[in-house]
Amino acid sequence: MMVSSSRKITPIFGAELDKLVTLPLIWRTFVATFIVNLALTAAFTSANLQGAIGTQSILATGLASMGYLQAGFIILGILATCSEYTGGQIRTTLTTIPWRGLQLSTKHLALAVVTIPMALILTGSGILYAFIMMRDTAAEMEIDTMIKTLLGATGYLTLTTLLSAAIGALFKRTTPALVVLLGYYFIVSPLAREYLPNIQYYFPDTAGSYMYMPLSSGEISSLSPLQGTGIILAWTLFFITAAIVCYRKRDA
Amino acid sequence: MLTINNVVKHRGNQKILSGVSFSARPGRVTGFLGPNGAGKSSTLRILLGLDRATSGSALIDGVPFAELKNPLATVGAALDGFGAHRMRTGRAHLRWIARAAGLPRSRVEEVLEIVGLTNAAGKRVGTYSLGMGRRLGMAAALLGDPEILVLDEPVNGLDPEGIRWIRTFLRERAASGKTILLSSHLMGELAETVDDVVIIHHGKVVADGTLEEVTGTHSSLEEAFFALTTEHAGAVV
Repeated sequence: MMVSSSRKITPIFGAELDKLVTLPLIWRTFVATFIVNLALTAAFTSANLQGAIGTQSILATGLASMGYLQAGFIILGILATCSEYTGGQIRTTLTTIPWRGLQLSTKHLALAVVTIPMALILTGSGILYAFIMMRDTAAEMEIDTMIKTLLGATGYLTLTTLLSAAIGALFKRTTPALVVLLGYYFIVSPLAREYLPNIQYYFPDTAGSYMYMPLSSGEISSLSPLQGTGIILAWTLFFITAAIVCYRKRDA
Repeated sequence: MLTINNVVKHRGNQKILSGVSFSARPGRVTGFLGPNGAGKSSTLRILLGLDRATSGSALIDGVPFAELKNPLATVGAALDGFGAHRMRTGRAHLRWIARAAGLPRSRVEEVLEIVGLTNAAGKRVGTYSLGMGRRLGMAAALLGDPEILVLDEPVNGLDPEGIRWIRTFLRERAASGKTILLSSHLMGELAETVDDVVIIHHGKVVADGTLEEVTGTHSSLEEAFFALTTEHAGAVV
């Protein structure tokens, strides 16, 4: 490479950020996820309102829809990379930024920057809603626990988005990437939890859930939040590396 | 200077290009002709680093595309299709390209003006006609004011006014010393625009020379093209 990568990163990062924020599908996905998440949180809050006490109950209720909420972030990740293959944009991208490894890694970085505030808003709004609705029945809110849970949930959704983007880059097409990822998260993983209990903690979604899952008092967790973060981070880096290797080798 | 040197491309068991060699020189418009499926687009894609050659080299000023220090200021490329996401506006499309190359936003407005797309720049690319899409592709190619233009079927979908504009524009750029390589299937149009001609057929170059040399004793470039691309036609001109 003739020019140092560090000098190239800033304009490439800016361009990748521009691509994401000017794509209406990204915002539509965010708004749709926000609305669905709030509706689900309202339903879970209503169901849990009777007999719920303490910070853990508020957090558990506020994040009860995480399983469904992650679908929106999976779609977000896939759209970020597969949109390159709509309208032949990939040709423009690669004739403007021909350094493929740098371009795809910078795209993931820009995606993380867009995803983090989105994830914070979505998880925060869920917890806030549950707090407002349950404050009369719940004990005093523990701010430390709430912040840790909020950051953990944001981190989990961000890593899930990046992993989905890498899968999208491998498939190049939205539909197969969506089928594989939603099939894994909503069919394969729940079944595996049932039938393969010994290895379930190594799956990205199960391990990642320990980043934010509030523990009931006395519950012994199988993974610490740090271990959960390490496992999902390893999966994410593995798929990003695989996507970059394929991207560099194959024809556009 | 563009140099294609003995490029071979296999896709699966199929041989797409069989030792394609030619060059496009500064100050000249080089026309790249061939029937559908002859290997024109494959050659251009390899030149632009989009596809890998099985063997051989495609160089821009002596280096592969991916090793150019500033690709957009060196080569402007417009390939088939719009090259833009359908849901993004034309202006937003050009702005991310400009940002990647470190160009100011004012340059986007300049190229929109050059290609006559200013009024439609705020519309989504999906609403563009074929001709507008070609203009957007040209605008993207011109953003970096490059020394070299590589254009795949640039007049496809353009109205007569657009065709005249692009012919004049390309001639002026060549006159100022820039290198232009364009593929086209419109023989009459090409004959009025190009200085040099390369004809490719079944992945092999069957003619390479000045317009006069390739036309030879035939009455027109079109006649020469059909004579050269008919099965079992003669050797390279």
